[in-house]
Amino acid sequence: MVCGYADLMGGSITIAFDVMGSDHGPMEVVRGAAHLSLEAPHIHALLVGRRGAIDEALAQVRHNGERISVHHAPDFVEMGEKPMEGLSAKPMSSIAVAARLVAEGEADALVAPGNTGAAILAAAQSFKLIPGVRRAALAAVYPTRARHGTKLDPFSLILDVGATLEATPEDLVTFAVMGSTYARIISRNPKPSVALLSNGTEPNKGPANVVEAHRRLNGMKELQFIGNVEGVGIPLGSADVVVCDGFVGNVCLKMLEGVHETVVELARYAYRSKLTWRVGLAMLSSGIRQVQAVTDWQQYGGAPVLGFDRVLIKAHGRSRARAIANAGKVAAKAVAADLPRAIAEGLRS
Amino acid sequence: MLPDRIDPKPPKHIYRWDLDKTYLQSEFDTFRQLMRSAFQRASDKVAVPGAAALIRELRARGDSKLFILSGSPKQMRGVLEAKLRLDGVEWDELVLKDNVRNLLRGRFRALRGQLGYKLVALLESRARTPLQSDEILFGDDAEADAFIYSLYADLIAGRVGQDALRKIVGAAELYKDETERLFQALRNTSRADPVRRIFIHLDRLTPPASFSNFGPRVVPIFNYFQAALVLLADGVLTAPQVLRVAAEMVQTAGYNLLMLSNSFQDLLRRGLPLDKVASSLTEALDTPESLLSALRPVPDIVSAFSKRLAALGTPPSPPPAVAIDYLALLEHARPRSSRHVDPLAE
Repeated sequence: MVCGYADLMGGSITIAFDVMGSDHGPMEVVRGAAHLSLEAPHIHALLVGRRGAIDEALAQVRHNGERISVHHAPDFVEMGEKPMEGLSAKPMSSIAVAARLVAEGEADALVAPGNTGAAILAAAQSFKLIPGVRRAALAAVYPTRARHGTKLDPFSLILDVGATLEATPEDLVTFAVMGSTYARIISRNPKPSVALLSNGTEPNKGPANVVEAHRRLNGMKELQFIGNVEGVGIPLGSADVVVCDGFVGNVCLKMLEGVHETVVELARYAYRSKLTWRVGLAMLSSGIRQVQAVTDWQQYGGAPVLGFDRVLIKAHGRSRARAIANAGKVAAKAVAADLPRAIAEGLRS
Repeated sequence: MLPDRIDPKPPKHIYRWDLDKTYLQSEFDTFRQLMRSAFQRASDKVAVPGAAALIRELRARGDSKLFILSGSPKQMRGVLEAKLRLDGVEWDELVLKDNVRNLLRGRFRALRGQLGYKLVALLESRARTPLQSDEILFGDDAEADAFIYSLYADLIAGRVGQDALRKIVGAAELYKDETERLFQALRNTSRADPVRRIFIHLDRLTPPASFSNFGPRVVPIFNYFQAALVLLADGVLTAPQVLRVAAEMVQTAGYNLLMLSNSFQDLLRRGLPLDKVASSLTEALDTPESLLSALRPVPDIVSAFSKRLAALGTPPSPPPAVAIDYLALLEHARPRSSRHVDPLAE
């Protein structure tokens, strides 16, 4: 029996993890990759970062050494560093090395929990933009009241949330196609509804780029464009995919996070303040836990950076091992479905 | 004039293997699994990928003996022997545990405990072994193999004395007759330092670093390709033999180039001196052996292994030799369910 190269690789998918630079240091990323090596036989983890730190972390966790390899990178871009300066000063930083390894085909996708700007810039330096994409977009999932797709996910997708501060009408149309493709493949939503974020539902509401994008999207029959949604439509889940420029998207995302933290803080305040409120919260606790479980962002893993010819998942800087493992699974799913090619086809049609 | 008889050449190597979870993929963590395993036919039993190939290659030179020591009950001898024969494995001794006797005598600690049983069996076998034979031992992380094998090696080498052993068996709560038999076996064994390697198959994927207190002689392995690589570096196997083990794993167990090259790098990261191994394998891959055709195309394999080596930058230094504190490590010799579980390891 003679095996070819593809047989020897056994249909495996290799995910490169930038191990350094996350809020919790290398340990959580390594733990996440270790979980993945136990749970997902078809996924191999390529851990990029300081070898000593990685091996020290690996020594403490159960893992399958057959599905993990390490690539030493001596530097890393810290969370607070300016991306351009950090990458210029540290060409052997873990994120730069990891992006190069993906570009060279040593891995199929990149999961990066560190500095967001550095991750996108490193990808821009090593990956190519998909034909028809002028700028990449960072997409984020957020919990909604409505359920979406065949899996009835309590999440919607919003993009861009920070990769591109200002977007032209062409960019917004591209983001709509990319977001729709992602929701179709990853959330198994065969016909995701797409909306533009604006200050009114009427087609002529909003800045000029949004009005023009609305006009163009209206003419695209292959997309299920439902028009504009206002801010209130985001948590309600009025659309499966909400499109905006990076400045607006980032403000919205941070506000949603702030509201979530405020609600949690209010509940803590109530718990401390009155015995009757404490009893009430205790009675609701199992329901609260269920709500927490279905809206837990760690389940979703990370935010895809769409528009490159390689898959990049930006994991949250605060990601714990479970979120990292889930980010790896999302990345593998995107690779298996050849997400970049699907986006390219969507843009051509 | 010819002598009256010609004694066979003494074996150069003694290979000692455990069976369950070392040679066989056995599941008996629950009562149901235990029952299923007990009534399995030989043809239903599955060997750990590469184990049979490795044994065949180790035995190929004809200068070795294979001693199998298992915690399986004696009643399973027939089916276990049939399985070994099916796999083409030739053995010299197969020692099984007399658990019916333990049960009838109400010795419940001995039912699950392995220290008294295996240490005695190893020492009694050593007493029958030529002094010059070296030993390579194979066990797993499910029971107490790393502890027992290391203690055995240090006892026959004289590094652990009788007083220390008395404290260990006392703390391990061995039965009196087990203790007496153990000391008798030790007295019958000549002092030598034959144990070269102790391989621990990570059936439960215990982190390899958990075994660092046993020193560099103990090598935890995720698969038998890793054992073969170390034995190549140690001069016990040749590169074509290692490739034959890999070929069996690729052909019969779905191993691929990524898994093999990752396994290679895993050992490098643990400081095992395998830097010369890659070039030996490359040379062997150039030989026109039909069995190795499973491992074509050669340039991809060479490239995968070279990249894993280069990816590490400066290779780490080998792990240091350590004095083993057996009393402190006694936890490793207890039956699994009564051990402390490190939450970080889960």
